[in-house]
Amino acid sequence: MTSLQRITLLASFAGALASPLASAQDLPKAETILDRYVEVTGGKAAYQKHTHQKMTGTLLVPDVGMTGNLTRYAATPDKEYSILQLGPLGKAESGFNNGVAWEKNLITGPRVKNGDEKALAEREARFNAQVDWRKTYPKVETTGSEAVNGEECYKILATPAAGKPETQFYSKKSGLLVKTIATAVSPMGEIPVEVEVSDYKNFDGVLIATRSKSKMGPQHLEITITDISFDQAVPADLFELPSEIKALVDKAAK
Amino acid sequence: MLLLLASVPVFAQLTAEQKQLNLASFEAVWSAVHDKHWEEKPAGLDWQVIHEEYRPQVEAAASTEAARAVMRDMLGRLQQTHFAIFPAAVYQVLDPSAAGDGWPGFEAHVLNGRVIVTESLNPDSVKLGWEVLQANGADLPPLVAKLQADPAIHELQLERAVAARLSGPIAAVRPMVFADAAGARVTRDVKLIPPRGNFAGFGNLPAQPVFFESRMLGNTGYIRFNMFLDLVHVMTEFGDAVQKCAHCDGIVIDLRGNPGGIGGMAMGMAGWLVNQQGQRLGTMYMRGATLNFAINPRAEAYGGPVALLVDGSSASTSEIFAGGLKDLGRARIFGTRTAAAALPSVITRLPNGDGFQYAVANYISEGGRALEGNGVVPDVEVKLTREALLAGHDSVLDAALDWIRRQKESK
Repeated sequence: MTSLQRITLLASFAGALASPLASAQDLPKAETILDRYVEVTGGKAAYQKHTHQKMTGTLLVPDVGMTGNLTRYAATPDKEYSILQLGPLGKAESGFNNGVAWEKNLITGPRVKNGDEKALAEREARFNAQVDWRKTYPKVETTGSEAVNGEECYKILATPAAGKPETQFYSKKSGLLVKTIATAVSPMGEIPVEVEVSDYKNFDGVLIATRSKSKMGPQHLEITITDISFDQAVPADLFELPSEIKALVDKAAK
Repeated sequence: MLLLLASVPVFAQLTAEQKQLNLASFEAVWSAVHDKHWEEKPAGLDWQVIHEEYRPQVEAAASTEAARAVMRDMLGRLQQTHFAIFPAAVYQVLDPSAAGDGWPGFEAHVLNGRVIVTESLNPDSVKLGWEVLQANGADLPPLVAKLQADPAIHELQLERAVAARLSGPIAAVRPMVFADAAGARVTRDVKLIPPRGNFAGFGNLPAQPVFFESRMLGNTGYIRFNMFLDLVHVMTEFGDAVQKCAHCDGIVIDLRGNPGGIGGMAMGMAGWLVNQQGQRLGTMYMRGATLNFAINPRAEAYGGPVALLVDGSSASTSEIFAGGLKDLGRARIFGTRTAAAALPSVITRLPNGDGFQYAVANYISEGGRALEGNGVVPDVEVKLTREALLAGHDSVLDAALDWIRRQKESK
């Protein structure tokens, strides 16, 4: 899953498998496809030379004509903090640090995530999860091939250690990930999410998709990444849990 | 013979262009249900078969009225509310968009078929309980009678149509005629003032004035806001108001006339009133997604008595909020049955000029009942009356305050 897809799932408030065109014996192993993805997007070394990432972008909800801005910070091994400023909905923050997944916005107030929702947040927070996909997805399987917007793709079912499985589509030609079908989990329920990514660009040796179009249930979402920078200084307390979240964690521990 | 001929309804012959517009309207109506209804087989019907059945009827329709009747009949097969077609002429009567942002400084609602002043910023000039007879040259009683006679027009739309007649450009002076307590005609030149609150939109929704007020009535908190919009301000002020009321005897939240807005705000506000984890207001079913209206209890949630005031113009998010809290046993509801318009619905203009409303989701309140078509039935049915207003009382608010007082006494 690309950084862009992670942030798409973060932004969500809230398949049937097509008949394979070829038999399982004719298809490359999922491990080969995932390793190839790491290679074509820069290789293990290019990923691993970074310890911090800052991503900024814009967001559009075309169905209601709403626009917003997003910023996501990530650091090794699994720290994450995102700010989403979505027009009239105001500021929404979320993060993962020290095993705590949380969110805070004007509607729900501060909230600690649990269960599958926490598992998803933890997976999304893993820095360089692409390289370490074996840790993220203990079970992967090539289930067929299928065209996505005219591009022939291998289809992989990736099952994480905790949480819902994802279906990922990798271009046969380029080796790049072009689509993911996942499940966004929250107290509002489980919402199927389809994310198509495109416009890969090179950021300091790593190819990263800069556009995504998502469908979450009946709602559509478009994200454009405008900038990605690596290893720049960030405030020491950037990933610290907000005081309201700390209070909730302390209360739950009692 | 001429008399016989004259008694036959005569419709103007449709031009080829009008016929085409009616067909395009039919396709728009059919497609909206086909693509947006929350069930892939809307109401269990094969919607393609419906198309084959009704399109020839629209093609054969000799008038726009006849074409509209066919489309209404098609929508009637759904046996669901919020699928309606408004004739262009009526739609124009209902459309407040041309009225302007100016506000007369008083609120008026339809009580027993009459437009009655229910709130006045300038009671020396316009008094509570007065009936508005005329606004800007338009007679209101016939307008109300005409709209009330159409079963397709619900109370919320009626109230909007009335409000539109009382509005206009800011600073414009409108001659208005009232009937006072004794029934005497009173004329006032009313200068329209800027609306209360901030203008706030939501995506494609045009900006609308949203106000929030909170005050103390004795030791009871009173909260009112006219729409579930302007999320940043309203959610913040709601939270502040609840926290300031931590030691109140109770809280009254007045949702009368509130047509709804952002559904998520109902969940957020409920989080200030519900202490228990794992609760929800209800469930919304859309094509491809089911959403729980889950409540995240705030650490500072209020635990005392909560009274909600509703009326026939309390719609959508107001109903989700009131219905859910009622089902959870967390609030007592006072007033009259709500608008029964809890579904997200869309109103568009058809190519032939008619208005078309259609729902895109179904919503079931936590108690297992659809709010759509049913509304929220108050625990205590109280009607706002002209007589009470003339005596300076709000009968619905009085009933809620009395209940809160009794709750305190019973402790």
